[in-house]
Amino acid sequence: MRKFWCLFFMFWPIAAIVYSAMSPAYGWWFPGASVTELGQRIDNLFYLILIIITVVFIGTQVALGYALWKAAHNKDEKSHFSHGSHNLEVIWSVAPAVILLFLALYQMDVWRDFRVKAYFPEGTIESPIAEVTARQFEWRIRYPAPGKKLQLKPQPDDLYAVNDLHAPIGRAVMIQLRSEDVQHAFFLPHLRIKQDAIPGQVIPIWFKAEKKGLFELLCAELCGWGHYKMRAQLTAEREVDFQDYLKKLQADQNYDGFPASDSVAKKEE
Amino acid sequence: MSVRWQTIVALMLASLLAGCGGDTSKARFAENSALAKQLLPKARKAVQKTLDDHFGSPLDSVAWLKLPVNYGKAEGTVKTVDGQKLSVEFNAEASDLESLTSPELTRAGLLFTSGSNAGKQVLLAKFDSKNSTFETLPGLESAPSSGDQFVAAGHFLRHGRKLYARHCQHCHGVSGDGDGTTAKYLNPRPRDYRLGVFKFTSTASFPAPIKATRDDLKRVIALGIPGTYMPSFVPMLKENELTAVIEYVRWLAMRGEIEKGLVTELKGEYSKDRSKDDGIDKSLETYLSETYPNFVNEIAGEVGEKWSGAEEEGTPIIPKKPRPQDTAESRHRGKELFLGNKAKCVNCHGPTGRGNGPMTEDFQKNPDTNETYAERGLYDTWGQPIKPRDLTRGIYRGGRRPIDIYRRIYAGIKGTPMPGNSQALSEDEIWDLVNYALSVPYDSQAPKSPKPHSVAEHSMDHGHAN
Repeated sequence: MRKFWCLFFMFWPIAAIVYSAMSPAYGWWFPGASVTELGQRIDNLFYLILIIITVVFIGTQVALGYALWKAAHNKDEKSHFSHGSHNLEVIWSVAPAVILLFLALYQMDVWRDFRVKAYFPEGTIESPIAEVTARQFEWRIRYPAPGKKLQLKPQPDDLYAVNDLHAPIGRAVMIQLRSEDVQHAFFLPHLRIKQDAIPGQVIPIWFKAEKKGLFELLCAELCGWGHYKMRAQLTAEREVDFQDYLKKLQADQNYDGFPASDSVAKKEE
Repeated sequence: MSVRWQTIVALMLASLLAGCGGDTSKARFAENSALAKQLLPKARKAVQKTLDDHFGSPLDSVAWLKLPVNYGKAEGTVKTVDGQKLSVEFNAEASDLESLTSPELTRAGLLFTSGSNAGKQVLLAKFDSKNSTFETLPGLESAPSSGDQFVAAGHFLRHGRKLYARHCQHCHGVSGDGDGTTAKYLNPRPRDYRLGVFKFTSTASFPAPIKATRDDLKRVIALGIPGTYMPSFVPMLKENELTAVIEYVRWLAMRGEIEKGLVTELKGEYSKDRSKDDGIDKSLETYLSETYPNFVNEIAGEVGEKWSGAEEEGTPIIPKKPRPQDTAESRHRGKELFLGNKAKCVNCHGPTGRGNGPMTEDFQKNPDTNETYAERGLYDTWGQPIKPRDLTRGIYRGGRRPIDIYRRIYAGIKGTPMPGNSQALSEDEIWDLVNYALSVPYDSQAPKSPKPHSVAEHSMDHGHAN
């Protein structure tokens, strides 16, 4: 019976490690390599933390297993109560504190590059490509007209889309995130971007997609009963295609029942 | 102790086994009781029976082929025949066949398109989708032979029902009555389809309002309605899913309209307050057995025609001239129309377009019953209070393209006090109004009006000072 408990307590950590080791092969992991370089650096942080906790986990579990196994054979000694050891207390308080402090310092430049406006890549802050407004339960997107800059307030020639964000690849771009009602979270899992949208705030997010493709854009904050409906997509495409998309959006938005070339209004300005 | 534990475990197991769904096999479409309660109980039952026969229940719906609904169809060929058992092969795509296991299909049956039974329909007793075998009910004069071709219908209905139940029903209700569980938290209320009226359409309203087209419904589902709780469902729903949902919504709308038509017809002679009349039972019985069946077909035909009319080519309103240049002059002409007596926009939308015109402060009459509403303000066809759009906000529920605004002004918004102006205004005038309406949110940035001292301009300035 004593050995049973030893085996029982050893089974679970081993199962957990086997399960984790199998995960990537079954797709229970990150949704592919990050499409952004910054995302890869974020992944590296995750892996660093994973390595640290794996070492600690295996170490503590082996120690637990060893103690149980040894005690199972030891029928002579009785257990005795101790109020603990001052030295041990210091060690297991200081060691995690050192690890946490190390992580806090080590991740700072990734955080700075992701969040601190002064370190945003050049050109992003001056000309955001779009304003994304979360609302129950969709993403409404406002682009400036081709060749113009996004203004804080809507402009007559702004272009509108819903649940369909487009961005060029190969250059860093910024969007302005807002919320119309409650707290939402702008989540691009393939780009490793997650940012809360807060009513009343305009929050800048930058990213630089390196690869063409369609990527999921989700809400990652339970925002109400229709939370699951906030499934949009990001189309990362070549600069030319992005500009074409904006032109197409513009033509659609100016549609007056006649093909664009026939219309007088389009020759405005 | 142990007894208590056993009880708890037993209860937990029992609740697991029972689930929390209750008995769903008897799910029914809710009756439009506001209407139906005016009828004699027997007449009320007759209407319900008609609806059950022709539409079924949410989980066992019937594809009534008289209605212009695309129920989805799959073509196939008979391979072998063994009495009532047919082994068949479908030439539809696999994705379409996914939903062919439906009881709907069983009830809609097969329609032979070739062989000795060409043109005849047979109902099915059983359908085994795995082996693609049917068991037909007796009813065919000659047995089908191998090689006969047929059409099976109904999978859009089933697919649409599932999607509707998942995404739409909690607001729009099982029967499309706009009274789902979350509906009471919403303002504006979700649409009640049962009048067959949809607000944002591309179709005319004069001389008689034309129904919404499939494309209109698709636009609303794909783009949502800004300013309301209707969100966009694209890209979550794929193209074939949109088709299925749209057909299901049209089907529900037709069902509601037919229900209303039947009740209205029966109400004339067999309303509740006549229950004490002599021989009313007998008269109702005769009516139900002789005239009523024809009437059911007639009203279904009428409703169906209206919906298929919306799909005819050339139905969407397209102006004859493109939008003129958005100049200060055009906007100014638009503003004068807006404030003037010809278009009367100002009566509801107010002098500055804020949606606070004098009509919103007055008592209004219900155009159907001619009764005055108890509260001040405007009402829609569904009896809900409604506010004229605040044009300064730049939120356009039916779309912000010039063509959308043009259609709103030309045909009005169905089911609301916003009237169609196709008779009152010329095309040029409507375009001037479009240019003006689109400029209202950006008024301070607009080009200066050529006549700064006109009356219109004066009242505009006044509005700003506030």
